[in-house]
Amino acid sequence: MTATIMRVVVVGGGSVAWLAAAGLRRAFRKRGVDVLVLDTGMPADAPVGRWTLPSQRGMHGLLGIPEADLIRRTGATFKLATEHVGWQGDGSHFLHAHGDIGADIAETPFYKYLVMQAINGRAESAEVYSLAATAARTGRFARPTGDEKALTSSFTYGFHLDEAAYVAYLAAHAAQLGVRRMNASLTSVDRLPGGEVESLRMANGERIAGDLFLDCSGSAALLMRQIGADERDDWSTWLPCDRMISARAPFIPELPPFTRTVAADAGWGWRLPLARASAAGYVYSSAFATDEAALRYLQSAVPGVETPGRAVPLASGRRRRFWEKNCVALGASAMQLEPLAGADLHFAQLGLGTLIELFPLDVSGAIEGAEYNRVMTDHADALRDFTIAHYRAGRARAGEFWTATRTVPPPQRLADRLDLFQASARINLTDFETFEEVDWAWLLLGAGLIPSALELHIRARVENVTAQQVAPLRAHIDGLAASMPRHSEYVQRSNA
Amino acid sequence: MTAAAFAAVLRPEQRDIRLIESSEIGIVGVGEATLPHIRFFNRRIGLDEADLMAKTQATFKLGIEFVNWARIGDSYIHPFGAYGSKIAGVPFHNYWLRQEAEGVSTPIEDYSLPIVASRLNRFALPSEDPSSVMSTFGYAFQFDASLYARYLRGFAEQRGVRRTDSKIVDVKLRGEDGWVESVRLESGEAVSGDLFIDCSGFRGLLIEQALKTGYDEWTRWLPCDRAMAVPCENSGPLTPYTRATAREAGWQWRIPLQHRMGNGYVYSSNFISDDEAAAKLLSRLDGKPLADPRPLRFTAGRRRKTWNRNVIGIGLAGGFLEPLESTSIYLIQIAITTLLDYLTDGNGTDGSGADRAAADGNRFDPRIVEAYNRWIEMEYDRVRDFLILHYHATERDDAPIWNYCRTMDVPDSLKHKMELFRRRARVVTYKDGLFLEPSWLAVYFGQRVMPTAWDPLADALDGAEVRRQLQAVREQVQSTVVRMPTHEEFLARYCPAVPPSTGAGARA
Repeated sequence: MTATIMRVVVVGGGSVAWLAAAGLRRAFRKRGVDVLVLDTGMPADAPVGRWTLPSQRGMHGLLGIPEADLIRRTGATFKLATEHVGWQGDGSHFLHAHGDIGADIAETPFYKYLVMQAINGRAESAEVYSLAATAARTGRFARPTGDEKALTSSFTYGFHLDEAAYVAYLAAHAAQLGVRRMNASLTSVDRLPGGEVESLRMANGERIAGDLFLDCSGSAALLMRQIGADERDDWSTWLPCDRMISARAPFIPELPPFTRTVAADAGWGWRLPLARASAAGYVYSSAFATDEAALRYLQSAVPGVETPGRAVPLASGRRRRFWEKNCVALGASAMQLEPLAGADLHFAQLGLGTLIELFPLDVSGAIEGAEYNRVMTDHADALRDFTIAHYRAGRARAGEFWTATRTVPPPQRLADRLDLFQASARINLTDFETFEEVDWAWLLLGAGLIPSALELHIRARVENVTAQQVAPLRAHIDGLAASMPRHSEYVQRSNA
Repeated sequence: MTAAAFAAVLRPEQRDIRLIESSEIGIVGVGEATLPHIRFFNRRIGLDEADLMAKTQATFKLGIEFVNWARIGDSYIHPFGAYGSKIAGVPFHNYWLRQEAEGVSTPIEDYSLPIVASRLNRFALPSEDPSSVMSTFGYAFQFDASLYARYLRGFAEQRGVRRTDSKIVDVKLRGEDGWVESVRLESGEAVSGDLFIDCSGFRGLLIEQALKTGYDEWTRWLPCDRAMAVPCENSGPLTPYTRATAREAGWQWRIPLQHRMGNGYVYSSNFISDDEAAAKLLSRLDGKPLADPRPLRFTAGRRRKTWNRNVIGIGLAGGFLEPLESTSIYLIQIAITTLLDYLTDGNGTDGSGADRAAADGNRFDPRIVEAYNRWIEMEYDRVRDFLILHYHATERDDAPIWNYCRTMDVPDSLKHKMELFRRRARVVTYKDGLFLEPSWLAVYFGQRVMPTAWDPLADALDGAEVRRQLQAVREQVQSTVVRMPTHEEFLARYCPAVPPSTGAGARA
């Protein structure tokens, strides 16, 4: 076979770097592909803690990481949902749960029934029809079980991770897989006549040669910057938050099995539970808050929070070309997006999976790069749209910052999607999307967006359904949630 | 199809449907071969498959045989089904390519159940058990399109559709916004409506003649602009597939029905005269012609907006793509089902589009119209690229049309797909729209677009293990197919058609 890519060099030292290194090594170990991590340390933009999508479970499976072991050794907890508080004004709140809303009615998604009720002036929360949301609200957790049609398997879960502990765990796992590691600081690159990178030069003068180079150094983009592939799409007109702080905070005794975001004057704060502590942060716009004001906000919102490190800049946007010559940017070096949707590691995982499928046959990799960039551009823009939708759906929160987030029209594809939902309760997804129809339903209905009409064929199927008919479903869900262990007990047992 | 679907899916109080057609104007019956999607359509509206097949002289279809496309003498089948199945998460064809490179040469066809069954004229219904090799294929029908129309007419009329036999002599537009208000019949009656569906064929009586919507032409990539159609007598066994044979100025179709064979020559008027095309067609039939060749004219392309104001162009009124991949009825079906999916009850209260629309005296939210048009565009564009591939991926240099197509500039989207396949056997896939990976593989391999390498992940498996697994697939396909009944035996049992009374079969 023709493949000549035998040496992969990963630049970075955070979770994305170790996930990528372990993933590539595991996929191509049999071919003898060598993977070296040039550890440039934890990226400055790495948060103290992060929340993930359920896809992280699949990632762990692919890497051969036993979940129970990971939970025990990193102090992670389980995540059934994200709660968004105050986004539609003080007092507003809704969950975006990692699970179904109700059960299909005549092959029609249950949320259409809720839309019909809302159009008829009987809006009710989707949460009471979701086991994931009900369990989240009552502090319960258990892993899904049973066959795929059972309510007990109507949900999935993500994780709350302590970033430093997670990175240490991944690094140890990668080492077990045979990934090599070297502490380094990159100063320059040597290039082949075709422009491909031949080797990296370190501060100590050493040269590291490779065939394929991954930039997993976070927003610093240490490698991509060297090769001058810096054209970007800027998203700051839609996502004005441009600074982030995060810090450890005290343990939350009731251990809610969900992440919480709270709309604030200049952005939004977040908090997530860990097994022995918690993490909190603030994502904000420097036009509306100084770093000092942001710190004061975090300290008042989260009593006992530790003093965060320096505020890190957040330049919302993405690289035009994620794959350039024989260099591929993964994670925050490819796209910077506020962590609202919890998709940071998911985006890195998409990049890694696509790279494995398109693993270049030689150092030029031009055709693979074109395909990779096409696919990942769509993925990135879809994540951008879902994030922006949080700012656009439902009633706007009062305040200058919140007004500013709605002054320009949303990106066209998001505008089209919101328009279609508003006009007909229809959600059309395109080729590459992370979030599914039910995720959009959680977000749009949760934010209080009520469509003006319902598709005729859908109405025909749901209009004779009455509140009495769906009441047993609610009762069933309440009963199932009550029979689940408390999340705090579940985590405690996992750590025993 | 539209009237039947609306009558079946919408409840009586949701609709009031009138159908106006003139028996003096002939029906273009080119869409006689279908895709498996037709079965979802029939099921959605509640048709009985065996009854429908018996009454439309239908046969089963497992794919299309393409003859002479890359080189004269070549033959491949584009099947309704997969080649093998993924091994360790990697698409099957990568292992096949690897095995070829390692010196074990086997036809890719041997790994496809519908192809092997087609070659042996066998048919049986697929299984719903996903572990069975009998679940690896789908099927469609080859039927008489005018009998299908007649069947659907009866179905629609039973459900309250009122049909009027008349020409439309005038179209009245509303002064304030140019929407269609009514159409006038020969009797003088003015038929008004909320929504007008234009199924008038290529001329687009409402969508084009009345609304001047405009048309995007694709003749630079799909040069054929005419066809001659003629039925002939059957001879030899009924094949469970359609055949498309590349010719000196286009291609010839051959569609076996129970009572006769449908034939036609799709050609470019730049490269052959009508008379010569008719003569060539008549000289290449399986049996005695049953009528005179009937000429058709068209322009490949798509109406700029298939939904414009309160008119929706469906069928040839919406666009035309030659029936090389039997997409005509699919594109009709998708227009109908998409429209049915998008129509709303329209009692809007949000103060935006729907209210404005209601205030204007119409009920169609522009946001929905735009979403519908985007969807239909995507469907047409994806079919277009796939059709262009057939013309472009050829080595033929024996006729001007093939020299033109071989060297023409194709859309960038297609160029990228072909480059990626040549480089490493990767098929660009998408979620919506027609033609999944097996379809692209069939045409690439069938038309000699051969990769120089494959997915490196397929190298992880031991070579002997690859050979063992591939051999097992071949054997399973072969042993399953030889136990299937012949296509004719199956038809006789499942949906025997009444032989048409004298002359009835002559109408195309």
